[in-house]
Amino acid sequence: MVATKTIVREHEADLVVRAADTVADGVLALTLADPSGQPLPPWTPGAHVDLILGDDLTRQYSLCSSPGQPGSWRVGVLRTPDSRGGSERVHTSLPAGATVRVRGPRNHFPLVASPRYLFIAGGIGITPMLPMIAEAEASGADWSLLYGGRERSSMAFLDELAGYGDKVTVAPQNETGMLDLAAVLGTPQPETLVYCCGPEGLLGAVEKLCEDWPPGALHLERFSAKPQEAAEGGESSFELVLERSGLTLEVPPEKSVLDVIRGAGVSVLASCLEGVCGTCETEVIDGDVDHRDSVLNEEERASNEFMMVCVSRCKSARLTLDL
Amino acid sequence: MTRTHPHNCWYLLATSEEVGRTPLGRRVLGQGVVLFRTTDGTAVALEDRCVHRPYPLSLGWLEGDTIVSGYSGFTYDARGFCVHVPTQDEIPVGARVRSFPVHDDGVFVWGWLGDQALAALRPPAALPWLRDDSWVTIGDSWETAADLALLHENFADITHVAVVDPFIAPPVLRSSPPPLEVEVTETTVAFSRTYAAAPMASWQAELAGLDPALSHVQRERGAFVSPGVWVDSWDVEVEPADQSGPHALTFRFTHAVTPIAAGRTRHTWRVSRNFALGEQASKVLLPIFTDYYGRVQTILETMQQVLDSDGPRREVNVSADAAALQVRKIIRNMVADETGIPTRRQSRAAARNR
Repeated sequence: MVATKTIVREHEADLVVRAADTVADGVLALTLADPSGQPLPPWTPGAHVDLILGDDLTRQYSLCSSPGQPGSWRVGVLRTPDSRGGSERVHTSLPAGATVRVRGPRNHFPLVASPRYLFIAGGIGITPMLPMIAEAEASGADWSLLYGGRERSSMAFLDELAGYGDKVTVAPQNETGMLDLAAVLGTPQPETLVYCCGPEGLLGAVEKLCEDWPPGALHLERFSAKPQEAAEGGESSFELVLERSGLTLEVPPEKSVLDVIRGAGVSVLASCLEGVCGTCETEVIDGDVDHRDSVLNEEERASNEFMMVCVSRCKSARLTLDL
Repeated sequence: MTRTHPHNCWYLLATSEEVGRTPLGRRVLGQGVVLFRTTDGTAVALEDRCVHRPYPLSLGWLEGDTIVSGYSGFTYDARGFCVHVPTQDEIPVGARVRSFPVHDDGVFVWGWLGDQALAALRPPAALPWLRDDSWVTIGDSWETAADLALLHENFADITHVAVVDPFIAPPVLRSSPPPLEVEVTETTVAFSRTYAAAPMASWQAELAGLDPALSHVQRERGAFVSPGVWVDSWDVEVEPADQSGPHALTFRFTHAVTPIAAGRTRHTWRVSRNFALGEQASKVLLPIFTDYYGRVQTILETMQQVLDSDGPRREVNVSADAAALQVRKIIRNMVADETGIPTRRQSRAAARNR
């Protein structure tokens, strides 16, 4: 075991729930603030935080307030029959006045400057879009939002979106049927970035329709890990070189790269451990990475410059990382 | 050349004292800015170039709340609109210079030269100790012929101080450093290290009126607040004679860094302290810190010259560089997002392969 000389961690703080408002069927909006009223760390649209709800119960939620108001953060939480009970815990144990441990913010869904945006939100996927839309509107960009949901009463923040007029298309499934994605994505638009957040079905459909769009036009954020195909013939082992630390290690089939790095006493950031949150993104110096995360897009994977060490592995015999 | 510093950030334009009823010209982010105050004291920042001929407005004069070009006589209001031309009654349609959002906190005047709409969505840094009576502050400001990133990377790791200036360095910096704790958010990096009890620097003990042989726990803290601001502190824990409980003798270092253009940065540094508040102590400290930051300036300028003549190379980083590497990542992401390069990771690759 090598002594850890450097510990890198994310900002963490106990925040007070200033308000817990039901903003749609099953959707709770929590307003979080520092107990002594200190400003919270700055962030930009698309950022999310971890709510640490208990041992082994950490969930990511997009910030849906304004970066211009550092006094508080707001998250929107949909109650879902989640197998691990994160949203259930938020709904039942975080009334106004409660305290919750919050880690972050971090941003793997940044709003890149563009003259035109197409925002597509499904259900609670509307949350990161709210600050993005405010910023696009302030910048004078041309934008539109297609917002789908089951029914109107289940769709949060419709009141806040009402002020944007016909730039916003609200499409409850029980009124207008499935989102007509082909109508908006069928023909690639020049100088337009597509931002999409919502359930896997929507993300998969948007990804497919955007195949002919210019590389980098589509930005999406997943709530849960993208379905992965199991490796043929089981996992293999490979050599792991941590260049900065001067360590050479072995990654056996049953351990992740992250496990091995941490086992050697080297500090590395990580949060969700399933390739969703992007916290453990690490620079690759050499090796043929077997990407299994849900964060990097095709071009990013092909560049072989970064990997999520919590889930991704290596196809070649040796992987060298900048750690 | 790829841009290496973000534009969407509050950068220091001048001290509040420097901005008054005489136009002040500064270069920021490759652009001329003229600063002045209107008759009610409001600080104003305009593009420093008359729309008629390429003559800086800062070489003109103020008339009431307007600024007059010293060549054409074109006159502009505080919003940058041309309100008078000497040769005709009609104001040329659309004649105006850019005006920049300004935040005057009473000590510094900050300006926003990026996407103007975003200024209100990004709060400027609060540096209250610079206005607080329980602190005394000294400092200076100069241009360093080095890129913004080199200054930040220097602030992010103070282990070089013992090498660069053995006199100023607290003796504990010459020993093997304790673990470095780095804390990151989306846009900020903070670090801290707590050193086992050791004597403080002899010049500091003398100022504090304490026995230089005594040992004290000392703590280093640093924070990358934004691309325009770095703050760090050196705490020495002491037991006061009056039993009021342990407290820290603190030096707080504030660095406002403003890109002038690629490879040129204005460095405004302030050293604040919460002990030895008298004027005599300031007279002792000013040359000590002027000398140290002058050495840093020379070193960073030399690094920039090496980069300019030999180009960047893959560098060998050590664990003490963890904070600097996080800062690099944040700055790269900010530049990528605001220049509209489709993905941040592609642009990082571009930045490295430049």
